[in-house]
Amino acid sequence: MDNVPLPPGRNLLIIEDEHFIGELYTRALSKAGYQVTVEADGQKGLDLAQTNNYDIILLDLMIPTITGIEILRVLRDPARVPKVKAKIIITTNLEQREDVRAEIEKQADAYIVKAELTPHELVQFLANIK
Amino acid sequence: MDFLRHLTSQAKLKIFLFLIFNDLLLIAVWLSLSYFLKINNLITAGMLSSLGLLLAGLIAIYLSGLLMQPLKALWQTILHLAPHEQSTLRAPNIDKLRFGRQLVTSLSSQIYQLVNVAEQSRLLDQKQRGDLKANFIASSLPLPFFALDNQETVLFANQAAAEYIGIKSEEMMGKNIYMLLDMAFPSEDTFDKWLKNAKLHNATATCSWDRVRLSVLDNHPTRLFDLAAYYNKGNPQKIETMLILFDHTKQYSQDEQAISFIALSVHELRTPLTLLRGYIEVFEEELSGKITPELEDFMAKLNATAQQLTAFVNNILNVARVDEDQLVLQLKEENWQTVLAGAIKNLELRARVRGIKLEIKIADDLPPVGVDRLSILEVINNIIDNAIKYSGTSQVIKIESHLSKDGLVETTFQDFGLGIPLGIMSNLFTKFYRDHRHRAQIGGTGLGLYLCKAIVGAHGGTIWVRSQEGKGSTFGFTLLPYTQLAEAIKNNDNKEIVRSAHGWIKNHSLYRR
Repeated sequence: MDNVPLPPGRNLLIIEDEHFIGELYTRALSKAGYQVTVEADGQKGLDLAQTNNYDIILLDLMIPTITGIEILRVLRDPARVPKVKAKIIITTNLEQREDVRAEIEKQADAYIVKAELTPHELVQFLANIK
Repeated sequence: MDFLRHLTSQAKLKIFLFLIFNDLLLIAVWLSLSYFLKINNLITAGMLSSLGLLLAGLIAIYLSGLLMQPLKALWQTILHLAPHEQSTLRAPNIDKLRFGRQLVTSLSSQIYQLVNVAEQSRLLDQKQRGDLKANFIASSLPLPFFALDNQETVLFANQAAAEYIGIKSEEMMGKNIYMLLDMAFPSEDTFDKWLKNAKLHNATATCSWDRVRLSVLDNHPTRLFDLAAYYNKGNPQKIETMLILFDHTKQYSQDEQAISFIALSVHELRTPLTLLRGYIEVFEEELSGKITPELEDFMAKLNATAQQLTAFVNNILNVARVDEDQLVLQLKEENWQTVLAGAIKNLELRARVRGIKLEIKIADDLPPVGVDRLSILEVINNIIDNAIKYSGTSQVIKIESHLSKDGLVETTFQDFGLGIPLGIMSNLFTKFYRDHRHRAQIGGTGLGLYLCKAIVGAHGGTIWVRSQEGKGSTFGFTLLPYTQLAEAIKNNDNKEIVRSAHGWIKNHSLYRR
C-alpha cells in the first residue's frame, strides 16, 4: 500500500461488496475519466482510504468486517491528523432512521440511494459535487 | 349586655311592685276583716296567711309566664333554626313580646348570624370535599389526563399521564402541552386547530380524534391513541381544556407492522433494481442505433418498466417512512417551471412506451415555490403513473400549472380514460390495504395517492380529484409560493423549512413555543 501520488479530482475508491454494482460503477466512472479502485471488504477499504489520497470515496454502509458508518467515523474523526481530504459519498440502498441519516449526512459529503440513480446519473451527480 | 341589665332591672321592678301590691292588699284585707266583721285576730291571721299564699301562687304563675317569655322566644328561635326541627316550628313573633323584646331581638339576630356562618362553612367544607373528590378521581383515573389553562399550560397531569409520556407529573406542571405532547394527526383536523376554533367561537366544546400518534422521549416507542378533549371558556378554576388519552398502540401498530413488513421485503428489491437499471443503461448506451427498431422499442419498454418498479419500491418505502414519522421534507425555494418540466421529461419515456403523449402548459408568471424536490417528484410520478395506467385507449394526458385565485400554484393532470367510480372516490387517498373491495377493479390504487396526500400536505398544499366514469379523471394539487411559506416561519435564515410528512402540517416552530 504505497502512497502513490494521483492526479487531482480523478481518483476514486469504491467500498462496495456487491460485485455487480462495483462492476457497473467502475465501467461508467472509468469511461468518464476516473481512476477507480473497488474494495469489497470494510477493513481493507479503510486501509486504502487512509493510505491513499483519493478525491472521492463511494462508501456502502453494509459491508463485511467493519461497517461503512465505522469507516466514516474513523475517516472523519476530528482528532485525526492529517485530515482525509476525500469527499465521502455514502451509497446505500438501506433505509435509515431520519436521525441516523441526519447524523451520517453531517459527516459525509453526500448521501445517495443507489436504486435512485443509474450509473450514468451517478457520474453526473459526482460532477456536480463541489 | 345592656339589654340584660335592662331586663334584670325591669324584672326587679315588676316583682317589687307586685310584692308591694300584695302587702298593701293583705294589710287592707286584715284591717277590713278585723274592723267590720269583728273576727278575732287568730282567725284573721289564719285567713290572711291562706289568702297571702293564694296570691303569692297567682303572682308566681303570672310572673314566671312573663319572665319566661324572652327565654321561650329564644328557644323557639333556636329550634326554628335547628337542622331537624325547622319544618315543624315557626319563628317567634318578637313584636308580641311584652317583656325583654330588645334582648330577644338582639340575641336572635346574633343566632341568625351564627347559623349563617355555620351554614357557609358547611357549604365550603362540602365544596372542598367535592374538590378533593374530583382531584382523587382525576389522579386515580387509569387513563392519561391533562388539565390546561387558557395558554395551554399544564395545570394538572395525573399519574397515568406521567407514566404514559415518561415525565413526572410535577415536572409537567407549568409546561406548554405542545412541548410535552408531540402529537401527529392522521388528518388536517388537528387538536390545536380545534382548540383555536373553540376559543374563538364556543363557550364549551368537545372533540375526539382517532389514531393520534405521539413521539415521546427517544427511549420510548411511538404511541398511538385516541384523544378526547373538552373545552370550557373562563372556568373559575382556570382549567380551560381537558385531555384524555386512550391508548391503542398495540391495536393500531398491527396495521403499521403490516406496512413495515412489506417495506422490509421490498427493501430487498432495491439492489437487484439498481443492477437491472444499470445493465439496461449499459445496453442502451452500447446498442443504440445498432439494433432493429423493434428491439429499440423493447429496450425502451424494459427501461420504463424498471423505472416503474423503482417508483413502486420507493412508494412502499416512503409510505412506511410516513407511517413511522420518518419522512422529513426540506422545503427549499425552487422555480416550479423547472421542477415540473424536469419531472415530466423523466416520465415521458414511461408514457411514450404506452403510446401516450404528455401535453404540458405551464403559466410563465408562477412565483417560486417552497418544495422538497425529491418528494414532489414522487407526487408527480405517482399522479402521472396513475393517469397512464387508467388512460385506456386515450392517448393524451394534459398537464397544466397556473396561479390560482387564492394565489397558490396549482398543477392539474387530466387523463381521458376510465375515470373513477363514485363509490371509491372518498377512499382514494387512504392506504391501499384498507380498500379490499375495490382491489380487483383498481389494482394498487391508494398507496401512491396516500403518499401524495401526505407529501402535498407537508408542503402546506392540498390534493384533490375530479372524475367521471368513462370520461377520465383530473388530479390536482396546490403549492404555496415560497414567500407565503417563509412568512409562516419568521427568522428563517437558512432558506430552508423542515417538515415531516404525515398527511398534515406538523411544524414545530409554528405550534411549539
